Amino acid sequence: MKSKLQLDAKGLSCPMPIVKTKKAMDTLNTGEVLEVQVTDKGALADIPAWAKARGHIILYQSEAAGVITFLIQKV
Amino acid sequence: MSNKVAIIASNGGLFDAYKVFNIATAAAASEKEVAIFFTFEGLNFIHKQGMHALPMPAGAEHFAAGFAKANVPAIPQLVEMAQELGVKFIACQMTMDVMGLSTGDFIEGIEVGGAVTFLEFAKDAAPSLTF
Repeated sequence: MKSKLQLDAKGLSCPMPIVKTKKAMDTLNTGEVLEVQVTDKGALADIPAWAKARGHIILYQSEAAGVITFLIQKV
Repeated sequence: MSNKVAIIASNGGLFDAYKVFNIATAAAASEKEVAIFFTFEGLNFIHKQGMHALPMPAGAEHFAAGFAKANVPAIPQLVEMAQELGVKFIACQMTMDVMGLSTGDFIEGIEVGGAVTFLEFAKDAAPSLTF
């Protein structure tokens, strides 16, 4: 699925990846997809937990060369 | 389920500040209604000058390099972020009186109140945290 918006949160540490993901998500409409790239390993657990709390859907998650990518669909 | 997170900031060191503002901003980013009650040394975090010079715990000075390496945001940046996300800041009136401080000594956008102001907010909050 194609993302509507890309967020580069690489190099940022907790809590900034979550704060920036929240802000980016606020600009999207229901059903649109946000792509987030992070290097903070804490985000591996935090972003899915945040999405679950908000009811958003993680469509895809991958990790390559230290960069973690999430595709999150706004609900 | 409660949608409120209530935090008491009662210590004034750099580590304490990170504990308070990381939890506060993460909670606010998760759409929680968050209030922080700043009392005793915790008032340092919102003091115009104090917030820029929070002390490391004795013997922990060597962590300064770790903070830089991990690209951890500075406390004033986290304070601004928290306010932008709608976190309510309540400064303890009694502590301000004891320390001879007035609202002009603090950043903009704070409320001043007593224990009851905080307790009223915290009565249906979960979790309530103290740092």
